[in-house]
Amino acid sequence: MDIEIFPHRVLGSDTTEKILNDLESLEDVRRTVIQGPRFPNEDTLPAKYRERRVIQVNGENITLKVKTGRIFVELTMESTIDEIEKICEKYISFGFDINQSRTNYIRKQRTVSDNLKYGEMDLPDELIGMTDQYSKFDEHVSIIKKDDLD
Amino acid sequence: MAQFYPGTSQVAQNRRNFTDPDYELEKLREISDEDVVKILGHRAPGEEYKSVHPPLDEMDEPDCVVRELVAPIDGAKAGDRIRYIQFVDSMYFAPAHPFLRARSYLNRFRGVDTGTLSGRQVIEARERDVERISKELLETEYFDTARTGIRGKSVHGHSLRLDEDGLMFDMLRRQVFNKETGIVEMVKDQIGRDLDEPVILGEPLDENTLKEKTTIYRIDGEAYKDDKDAVEVLHKIHITRSFGAYNPEAGW
Repeated sequence: MDIEIFPHRVLGSDTTEKILNDLESLEDVRRTVIQGPRFPNEDTLPAKYRERRVIQVNGENITLKVKTGRIFVELTMESTIDEIEKICEKYISFGFDINQSRTNYIRKQRTVSDNLKYGEMDLPDELIGMTDQYSKFDEHVSIIKKDDLD
Repeated sequence: MAQFYPGTSQVAQNRRNFTDPDYELEKLREISDEDVVKILGHRAPGEEYKSVHPPLDEMDEPDCVVRELVAPIDGAKAGDRIRYIQFVDSMYFAPAHPFLRARSYLNRFRGVDTGTLSGRQVIEARERDVERISKELLETEYFDTARTGIRGKSVHGHSLRLDEDGLMFDMLRRQVFNKETGIVEMVKDQIGRDLDEPVILGEPLDENTLKEKTTIYRIDGEAYKDDKDAVEVLHKIHITRSFGAYNPEAGW
């Protein structure tokens, strides 16, 4: 099952980093998609104004491409939602909704666009629905190894 | 006495304050004339005003009663071009909003034209008058550095979720939040051209002050339905307009 975390304000990089780290630490969370408005080209801006930066999730570097407007999370057990709610309460001070009204927030079936993009190749199930169909795959997906230490 | 707006709520009072030309709006910040020119982006600071006709004194005007009655504004006297400034007001408790801006602009300023859309409000006048008016609009309660945007193009954002730091979303990032000082600065002019030096706009108002100053009815602030007087007047206008417009003889 999927859920959608909908913060009442668009999250900055720092909060996104904290939330993603805590979400990834949950055993039950399989996939996470962040969706939102894309960062502008900030090359000409002085550092103090920049919002786009490299965040670390589970020790791996991810270059954020978007500001976090929504977080889709795929999980298996309903009880995980309570834990996610606690994480959100910790970091999102201005309110949020957790929506479960749809069964799928992350697409699970291959589509014609996928076929056009990847041809006949075998696409692993966990990668279906992870990309924006208008962009290149490696620009938008970061594969993070599960932290198996504890 | 002129009646500007009905209602007993704080929102209604704020609306009356904006629309009443005799009410002096609170000045919240200082922005220099040069910075206003930079924000507008119509001419470089210090540059001469371009003109579209010779000064009125040098023109041979026809005899006309209206021309004698109406004193021209400074820009018209000098023959300036028509220029504009445009604002976007966030629906999250911005101090002003488009329709109110229109009413108050027309009550407060002479020689202007203003256009209203759901989320934006443009005001046009002769160049030097636009600069004078812009200064007033930017320095007083009309403007909050976070919830009001100066957007000449790519005019959007009034109904979008705010950023985490309380700023209204802007895809061109004209007004940006300086994380080191907590102050909002303008790094581009109103149509998104880079400025050499950022213009310091000032600190955003906090949430409680905004809720006191806002002219927007909201269910999580002051709800319109709770302002009985305002609803009653609206109801009355609705009925009179409907009957009057569609079938005046039927009466009610």
